[in-house]
Amino acid sequence: MGASSPMLARYVIADLVRNPRRSLSTTIGVVLGIGLFCAVMFFVDGLSSSMTQRAVAPLPIDMQRVVTAPLAADLELRLTVQPLGAAQPGDVIEVTLEVINNAPTPTNEVTVRSTLGQSLAYVPGSAMMDNRSLGAGAESPFARGPAKTGLNIGTVPPGTTTRLFYRAEVLQAGEITEASFASTFSTREAILPIRANAGQPIRIDELASLIRQIDGIAFAEQLSFADLAPGSLSAGSTLATPARVFGFDAGYLANDRTIRIVEGMQVPGEAMISAEAAEALGLAVGDLVSLELPDATAMRLAVSGIVDLTQARSLFSSRRGSDLETFIYIPNSVIVGSSQFAEIVVPAFERAATSRGDRLKAPPVREVDIGVQRELLDAEPSIALDQTQRIAAVVNGVAPGQDFLIDNISNTLAVARNDATTAKQMFAFLGVPGAMLAAMIAAYAGIVLGSTERRERATLRMRGASRRHLLMMLAFRVSCIIGTGAVAAVVLGYISAAMVIGHQSLTRASLASLALSGALGAIVGLMATGGALYVTGIRSIENEINQDRSRLWTRPHLWKRYYLDLVGILAVLLATAAVFALSGFEGIPGSVYQGQAVEIPLYLLNLPLGVWIAGCFFAGRIFSLILSRSPGASGRLDRPLALLYTSSLRRRSGALVEVAIILGLIVALATCMAVFTASYDGAKAADARYVVGADFRITPSPAAARAYLSDDAGSLHVPGVAAVTPVIYGVRNVILNSLRTSDPANLAALEPVAYGQITRPDDDHFSNGDAAQVLAELSRRPRGILVDREMAAFLRIVPGDTLDVLLARNTPQRVMVGMEVIGLFERLPGFPDGAQALMNLDLYEQMVPSARPAFFLAETEESSTTALAEAVAEFNRGPAAGGHLQVDTRLTALAQDQSSLAALNIGGLIRLVSAFALAMGTVTIAIFVFALMLQRRREYVTLRALGMPPRAIRSLIAAEAATAAVAGCAIGVPVGLIMAYYLVNVLRPLFILDPPYLVPHASLGLVAASILTATAVTAMAASSLVNHMRATELLRDE
Amino acid sequence: MNGGMAIRVEDLVVDYPTTSGPLRALDCPRLDFEGGSSTAIVGPSGCGKSTLLCMIAGLANPSAGRVAIGETIITALSEPDRVAFRKRAIGVVYQADNLLPHLTVIENIRLQLALCGDVERAGQRATMLLDQLDIGALSARLPDQLSGGQRQRVAIARAVIHEPAVILADEPTGALDEANAAAAIDLLLDAHQRLQATLLIVTHDPAVARRMERVIALRDGAIVDGGQLAHVG
Repeated sequence: MGASSPMLARYVIADLVRNPRRSLSTTIGVVLGIGLFCAVMFFVDGLSSSMTQRAVAPLPIDMQRVVTAPLAADLELRLTVQPLGAAQPGDVIEVTLEVINNAPTPTNEVTVRSTLGQSLAYVPGSAMMDNRSLGAGAESPFARGPAKTGLNIGTVPPGTTTRLFYRAEVLQAGEITEASFASTFSTREAILPIRANAGQPIRIDELASLIRQIDGIAFAEQLSFADLAPGSLSAGSTLATPARVFGFDAGYLANDRTIRIVEGMQVPGEAMISAEAAEALGLAVGDLVSLELPDATAMRLAVSGIVDLTQARSLFSSRRGSDLETFIYIPNSVIVGSSQFAEIVVPAFERAATSRGDRLKAPPVREVDIGVQRELLDAEPSIALDQTQRIAAVVNGVAPGQDFLIDNISNTLAVARNDATTAKQMFAFLGVPGAMLAAMIAAYAGIVLGSTERRERATLRMRGASRRHLLMMLAFRVSCIIGTGAVAAVVLGYISAAMVIGHQSLTRASLASLALSGALGAIVGLMATGGALYVTGIRSIENEINQDRSRLWTRPHLWKRYYLDLVGILAVLLATAAVFALSGFEGIPGSVYQGQAVEIPLYLLNLPLGVWIAGCFFAGRIFSLILSRSPGASGRLDRPLALLYTSSLRRRSGALVEVAIILGLIVALATCMAVFTASYDGAKAADARYVVGADFRITPSPAAARAYLSDDAGSLHVPGVAAVTPVIYGVRNVILNSLRTSDPANLAALEPVAYGQITRPDDDHFSNGDAAQVLAELSRRPRGILVDREMAAFLRIVPGDTLDVLLARNTPQRVMVGMEVIGLFERLPGFPDGAQALMNLDLYEQMVPSARPAFFLAETEESSTTALAEAVAEFNRGPAAGGHLQVDTRLTALAQDQSSLAALNIGGLIRLVSAFALAMGTVTIAIFVFALMLQRRREYVTLRALGMPPRAIRSLIAAEAATAAVAGCAIGVPVGLIMAYYLVNVLRPLFILDPPYLVPHASLGLVAASILTATAVTAMAASSLVNHMRATELLRDE
Repeated sequence: MNGGMAIRVEDLVVDYPTTSGPLRALDCPRLDFEGGSSTAIVGPSGCGKSTLLCMIAGLANPSAGRVAIGETIITALSEPDRVAFRKRAIGVVYQADNLLPHLTVIENIRLQLALCGDVERAGQRATMLLDQLDIGALSARLPDQLSGGQRQRVAIARAVIHEPAVILADEPTGALDEANAAAAIDLLLDAHQRLQATLLIVTHDPAVARRMERVIALRDGAIVDGGQLAHVG
């Protein structure tokens, strides 16, 4: 047979068309395999495309350019160097430094520093100040000692210039520039050194205007604020607590939706005050408020509005690098316009700062808050990060050196980029089982269908086809199948990903990214399924063509001969022991707020994979043993069907075990995914409840018509609510004093038993391992206090020690109370900003009678989502109808969990994989059943000829298929449960609390029911062919 | 023992669908086989011999016409009734032994009796028959552990164990050497005589045909010789 390649190709194509069922069943396996991988890749693209949006959504301000220019900053250091340019050893350079005070106020303790490069040496005795010698010492007075400290020239009066001079000798030939004489100055008011020739400090309004003109900037608005001493705010009466004055304009207000105007509006020249201050001072719109500034001058302003600032994160977040974003709320606040702040508040601080003997601890903060045009940001976080970093560089380029930039958006996107990378790795890993399954199904289809092609191959060989021809035909066949399959698979992958995450999410992803994913998915899938088909095809060709088709014994598979399943299980057990010993399951939880990406030990995903493969094959080995040792029914001639069934199972168990293992792998994957989904959802719900602290949390607005006291908990009971408990809480609201040291802390005062019942804290988070007991003990001991473990370590206290607690810190009601530490805790639900100490509500209210609960925690009668929604609706219709009670529920917390990796749509991915797994299960069963029909059709026709009713033959087919399905489920479910245990532990860092291990019986039932239904349907469809078999041909066939 | 049953074929037409329209595989206006007779059906490949046997066995429905075995018009029966009739009255042997590969020799034979509901005597009769066929020692073996001749003996034993009234053999010696072929025909003729069964053998082998009482020749789906001779009615 001198067949050419085109001829062989034509033959293969004709053969594929002639046998549509056979071609289709193989192609479906390929389509599912490649489709699943492509779907996972598209899914990741779609998810990444929304990660930019998710990540930046919670950010109120994208960038903050904080001005560092000191108060009374109209001081300038001018450096002049003569001569500049090339210099030879021995040349002398003259350096002049002029300190010019352009301000109307004196500048105190001005220190000038000027250091020389390595190739220069100070000329002894050359230093002068205002033409007066500074001594004949060999060391430069402008860079003394190892620390190179500068010269303190004292106070520079307003409008004057102080001239400094020295000479330096060139030691090595080189270029002389101003940079060769690094010179700076600092003052009492400006501790940070300021470079010489830095130019005039830019005005903040100019800075905002320049930044606004940069491409990609949506807004740039001034924000200034300054903290005022207790007693600064008055209107008839005086508030004894500290206050804060803000300066911003309508533009800022328009861009920050967290500032809520309760009454009135912002009017230039007038002030808005916080609801708390308005209530404390009894102020209404139109009244006058007085602000005493640090230089003892006062601002009297008409109140134009009352604002609720309790959610204004941008106003109260810390600007310190060490605790960026920490929310430190100051209830008594006043808002004035930017120009008022610049013209009245800043000069008052300048005057106070420059007065002799006075030193301000906290000068005003002046910054430009910037929003970038988010709609221009790329959907992919890494690209968006490049964009925001470029914008930040341009923003920094405006008047450089006079301020620093807090680039919130880039920090957030950097975390999102890392999260996206982790997600891609993790998702690709979760997609791997699907691709492996598809390869196995393709191989299985190749084996069972290959056996039906033996006659054809034998005929071809008799006609002269060589082994090379058969291999070429195989290559053509595989290429045709996987080529066709790949196109369909990419389309299927795209559609299924779009169905799970929405078409819009996918269209947001870049075309290049989608194309790359499609190509990558197709290549991986093609390699896996194509390889599997080709290898099984080769094996089939290599087999002896004339071997007896009825032969029962075949050589055991490699894994069975070499006990690879047992080796795999042993490896998993050893690895598990090592992981536990090394605490390998402990990853690093992430948070965008904290600038920390989740770190998941992804290599540990090999463990569930190992369990999956080794477990299913090991179970297959056991199944094989059970079958071979099962009692036969040869003595039961009254039941011929039983005879046929049991004999078939015992004597040709190989095919059944093969399909049971593949089904087991599929069921295990689906089981694992179902358990993981349930555990994941449970963990997310638990996390959300942990954050809220209860089913819902009620926070009274400061603008509420009346004060809510702890006794009001009863009035917040509505139908559907089981319990409500008040919590007094504040950030750094107390100072804990031990015998050794003291530290500010966040203290919560509450009803311990009710709090424990409603929040259900974790026992492991309490020192004695019993939360209820510790809280009951606190309840019994009025002067008891529970302290956070870390805080206790810092204070060096242990249970039994006493602690002096300064309650109501920074308020006139502050009071010191001696308390006894009765226990330690690690974490508490309901305090997103953390709580370091817990005490009895009664004692707190007794000591600080004016104290009010910061919030109330409520528990619903039933735990269902519907019950919660109904209770909240009831609550909103009742006590919260006035809009002065804010309600946060565990559901809203769940929805707001948008910014970390925990918000990734893992549930969606799992639905995707599960759907594909079930489809593959159906295909496997169908291949098995139709393969039975192909391989055993002569047997079935023989049984018909012997007088067996078709119904009985159909029962026989169904029984074998059902046995395979049941065995697959029996193998898959336990293996899947173990697999899920590993997966849940590997992904533990995604959650705040340790994720629970939840077995969703209904979902598992659904998986098993799906497999059994697929079995029943395919068995019925296939066995209906029994009646249509051509008995004449089959029975004569040798 | 059922005793031989007469077979009557009337206006039997079998068409197979093809892409170029129906292909007539058999057209047999009238053909009768006397009860307890032995007949060889000969003819070139594809002439319709096996199709005729298949129709008589009730394994497929004809396009037209009818087949009567004894008083039973098998072509008029429903599939379950046809199956029930076949397992009681007909034994079939093919060129391929068609033994069930996962059953031992004895199980293959007993299965036929079990399907007939004759369970009580199954063991004893099967053992006796195997001894008669000189394959008693092989009873516990699986088919792939037997030679071709041994397998065909087992197939014949299975076809006659339930003492059918009609034995149909479709080229039973086609895959056997001369000695085994002769032995197989001996077994069939022995059963035919012992049971007084009607024996129809499809064969290409003139030597086999000569050992039958009658010979019918088919060509292109029609009887060209011997049909009238066989006609007794």
